[in-house]
Amino acid sequence: MKTLEEVLRAAGNPVDLLRNAQAGPNVYPGVPPEYTNWREETQAWQKACVLFNLSYHMADLYVEGPDATKLLSSLAINTFKNVSPGRAKQFVPCSHDGHVIGDVILFNSAPEKYVLVGRIPALNWITYHAQAGKYDVKLELDERSAARKDPLNRKQYRFQIQGPNAMKTMEKVLGGKVPEVKFFHVAPMTIAGKKVTALRHGMAGQPGFELVGPMAEGDAVRDAIVKAGEEFGLRLVGGRAYSANTLESGWIPSPLPAVYSGEQMKPYRQWLKEDSYEARASIGGSFVSNRIEDYYLSPWDMGYGSFIDFEHEFIGREALQKMAKGPHRRKVTLALENADVLKVIGSQLQKSGRGKFMEFPSAVYSMHPYDKVLAGGETVGLSTWVGYSANEGRMLTIGILDAAHAEPGTEVTFVWGEENGGTKKPTVERHSQMEIRAIVCPVPYAETARKVYSDSKGWRAKTPA
Amino acid sequence: MKKSQSLEELLKTAGNPVAMLRNSRIGAYVYPVVPGEFSNWRDEQAAWQKTAVLFDQSHHMVEQYVEGKDALKLFTYLGTNSFANFPVNRAKQLAPCSHSGHVIGDGILFHLETNKLVFVGRAPAANWIQFHAETGKFKVKTYKDDRSPGNAKGKAVVRRNYRYQIQGPNAWQVIEKLNRGPVPELKFFHMATMKIGKRKVRTLRHGMAGAPGLEIWGPYREREEIRAAIVEAGRDFGLKEVGARAYATNTLESGWIPSPLPAIYTDQRMQAFRKWLPAASYEGTGSIGGSFNSSNIEDYYMTPYELGYGPFVKFDHDFIGRAALEKVAGKPHRRKVTLAWNADDVAKVWRSMLEKGDPYKYIDLPLSNYTSASYDRLSNGGKTVGMSMFAGYSYNERSMLSLGVVDPDIQLGNEVKLLWGEEGGGSKKTTVERHKQIEIRAIVSPVPYAKQAQTTYHEGWRSKAVA
Repeated sequence: MKTLEEVLRAAGNPVDLLRNAQAGPNVYPGVPPEYTNWREETQAWQKACVLFNLSYHMADLYVEGPDATKLLSSLAINTFKNVSPGRAKQFVPCSHDGHVIGDVILFNSAPEKYVLVGRIPALNWITYHAQAGKYDVKLELDERSAARKDPLNRKQYRFQIQGPNAMKTMEKVLGGKVPEVKFFHVAPMTIAGKKVTALRHGMAGQPGFELVGPMAEGDAVRDAIVKAGEEFGLRLVGGRAYSANTLESGWIPSPLPAVYSGEQMKPYRQWLKEDSYEARASIGGSFVSNRIEDYYLSPWDMGYGSFIDFEHEFIGREALQKMAKGPHRRKVTLALENADVLKVIGSQLQKSGRGKFMEFPSAVYSMHPYDKVLAGGETVGLSTWVGYSANEGRMLTIGILDAAHAEPGTEVTFVWGEENGGTKKPTVERHSQMEIRAIVCPVPYAETARKVYSDSKGWRAKTPA
Repeated sequence: MKKSQSLEELLKTAGNPVAMLRNSRIGAYVYPVVPGEFSNWRDEQAAWQKTAVLFDQSHHMVEQYVEGKDALKLFTYLGTNSFANFPVNRAKQLAPCSHSGHVIGDGILFHLETNKLVFVGRAPAANWIQFHAETGKFKVKTYKDDRSPGNAKGKAVVRRNYRYQIQGPNAWQVIEKLNRGPVPELKFFHMATMKIGKRKVRTLRHGMAGAPGLEIWGPYREREEIRAAIVEAGRDFGLKEVGARAYATNTLESGWIPSPLPAIYTDQRMQAFRKWLPAASYEGTGSIGGSFNSSNIEDYYMTPYELGYGPFVKFDHDFIGRAALEKVAGKPHRRKVTLAWNADDVAKVWRSMLEKGDPYKYIDLPLSNYTSASYDRLSNGGKTVGMSMFAGYSYNERSMLSLGVVDPDIQLGNEVKLLWGEEGGGSKKTTVERHKQIEIRAIVSPVPYAKQAQTTYHEGWRSKAVA
């Protein structure tokens, strides 16, 4: 089997390879697209309460052994000083030149015992170093459903209860007061007679929990929660609504792993195989550069600048120290202008000049959406995840913009669709590129952002002074 | 609900069957197991008009087998069709009717072998067949292979047969490549066999938009092998696999109405069937959706004439519903049409998603139905003139289209108003979010919505308002 390095050498430019890759967007298997309808499923997380089923679309990597902390700490921009059993954190590994490889949630279940959950690139990177670096650790990978022969046979179920009524539902299903647990701390609970590991989580300022346990017990736990949540308006969320929830919370699910270039990353590319996520992943959208590095994101781009701890040794430290002074781009929400969005949607009813189809609610059509954002005709940043929020009644994207254009209220232009009729990705029908005006808003797209809108009259009312 | 409860018992406790069905919590009518999209539904739709497609029909239909020396006699008794010329290796569209002459459902009846037939379609007609096979004085045995579950929850799905269609202008080239030689072009709905790899498969001559195609089937365990062979053979001919999202919309261009409400909820003569039918059946759990709202469930029933099956009704034999149909046979009928929705009005629905307040009912693409049986009111000058019964978007026609029936005096080219959404903010169906209703202008167009319609009505939105 060929290595990623060989695949890249044969392909010429990695950008062409990835932009024409045959992989579709990330899928959310195991749950139906809609339990009821995606509009009300979306509204339920802002107005009542939802159960997300995260059991299938992420990979889990178990890391255990005397060197577990040493290994993980050597790869993370984060400090491990505050990591102890019963706690979790967002784990962000970078390449040697300081660009993000991925980000996942790390759970510390016991001394020198971890599980990391998320997209596979960060987990591959850990696996490589565990092997290459001769660490005394044992690894076990439980792949996501889409990459398995037995798709739904995962080790653990993983649910989230979120929304303003989440705590009421928890209280009812626990049959008593919900234990006080600090954010991103873990506590054992019992639901339907089953032991459940509960991570204190939250969404849009409202407390919630992520619940984990053995797969075989998932149905019993879910059924109990659904029953308890009935009176609090709990809805099960299907695949369609789920993939759009990050537009409101502002997390970027899809940084391109920064592994395709650089001499120091070459041994890793020689280790990765042609059937890896990295070799098959797709980039989609209007942002086109010949330099693959232009698709890499820094921790600051992702909003993780504050996670960087220079007190410990880790891969990428030197590069990040140089980058620390800035300038840094900033993560923003882009609220797309309704009239222009309607032009794109309405173009589906035209004889010619149809724009790229805008799927509802998630309009993402590749593994790594990268659309360009313009101001005065110049590219001033990128847009990543894109879709419609049935809570906000708007098309939103999560963007990364030069600081000069990142102030809330700034007007920019988002370019929708790909150049020259589109790339060869199977999700891309022939289409015309269309420009959509957008207003820069904060992340997460919260009450304040909505206020900017209700106070303004039309597109130009909120131009920054 | 008790396991043993019958539909008749359920209806007695439910009150008005219209209210029961319009507020059913069953959810969307799912086209199961097949992935939503193989590439993207736009290109998949385009392929059946421009190149070739593979439809996977292995999962969404019931197979109702009837075997025995009275098998043909049973179908003759239930079918409005003539069985005078129906030898082995023929198929026909079977639309059995109630005693009152209203359609119960329809599907394809295959004459597989002497005394062995299979009906393939939605559940209601299959149930009706099974009921008569079990309770009538027919020397037959039945076997039902139910449709695949809407959400298999990781459990393996096993059907008796795979069932594929190869369709589109390049379909015959794909078929001959698969067969490694010419395939005689049989008459429409005649059956034969062909070779795919080492396998001999059975075929039904089918077609789409004038181009010949085939339906093929065989043991379910061979499905992957056959599928792979078709995809491989189709590579040079632009064949695309069609996912569940695009699949259901092909009928908008070909003009078959898949989902009339089974005419079984009323009438003393149908009571024995209702007592036999479980409450948990399609008939007991399915849903009605849309703006057409009558408290009389019989207003939802359709005659074969209305659904375009008039030519199949032959009074050369005795069958259930014959007396009723004889009475209406010579009268003017409502008739099946395609409705081409006004682009500006459709855009208004989409715009409402970006505005404050309740939106209009969401129009999902490409399939816009939100219920098992859609019934939207069509009106002209405030008067109800028909209903729209299956709606979606055609990337080929660049238009929202729906299939429906209209009064005899409504002409092709007339503009009617389609009321989209449900009254009072919407029923209790899980697929219905709170919404407003809106009138959408629609041009009454032919079935199938063919070239003729495009050349007559394209470029802009010209219409002849009803005088």
